[in-house]
Amino acid sequence: MVHVLGKVLPDSQLVSFALTHFKGIGASTARRLCARIQVHDRCKIRDLTPAQLTAITSFLSAPSAAAPAPVHALAPPDYAPPPLGAPLPPAPQPAPSPRAKDTLLNVKLEAELQREVRENILHQRMIGSYVGRRHAMSLPVRGQQTQTNSKTAKKLNRVERHV
Amino acid sequence: MLPTLVVQSGRSAWKGPFFVAFPNLRQALENNIPIKTQARSCTILPNFVGLKFMVHNGKEYIPVAVTQDMVGHKLGEFAMTRKRFSYKATKNK
Repeated sequence: MVHVLGKVLPDSQLVSFALTHFKGIGASTARRLCARIQVHDRCKIRDLTPAQLTAITSFLSAPSAAAPAPVHALAPPDYAPPPLGAPLPPAPQPAPSPRAKDTLLNVKLEAELQREVRENILHQRMIGSYVGRRHAMSLPVRGQQTQTNSKTAKKLNRVERHV
Repeated sequence: MLPTLVVQSGRSAWKGPFFVAFPNLRQALENNIPIKTQARSCTILPNFVGLKFMVHNGKEYIPVAVTQDMVGHKLGEFAMTRKRFSYKATKNK
């Protein structure tokens, strides 16, 4: 049992699955995050080291300020290893990865994500578009049938959506 | 940082947004005359802001006043095509 930012992550669950308990983290984001903090696929919560746990916590508390992905130097095509016994030459410093392409930095979580959803609906309602009106009528927005069913929409769709 | 609306719409970026060229755009802006149109799929461009449209809903033309927030949406989003059902009791029975 591990508590991370107010959520309980059970010991017996895979890390990549347990991370999806957070709103805003799905299966693919969870796998990416695991790769970033170097947690293997079959690792369970109980096997996490304290350092990995703090890495997870620090990422989840501020995804946009997270440390960039580590970049490791690759050997050039003409690399010739030094003779046996000789000390290894220092590894060349690779160029840092472009942060703009790092999708993990744009992850939105929990309250921030909910606020974004709410703002988007409010925008639609404000300009009086079809989507906004359907939300206000608590009816499905994307052309689903309403003669029967549409229970989820009736329950959740509001201008102040029950997320 | 959001990608541009063209990217969000799922349409190829090189095509740009779909829109219909209204020949009387400048006159309409100056004289405040609504533009009558059936082009519901026309994207609202930034230079439409302040214009008035009469958008066809299949039966009649619905007035739509374009504001800054509507840029990137389609004209048809603002002209409803359906009527809310309201029960009317039959008289002659």
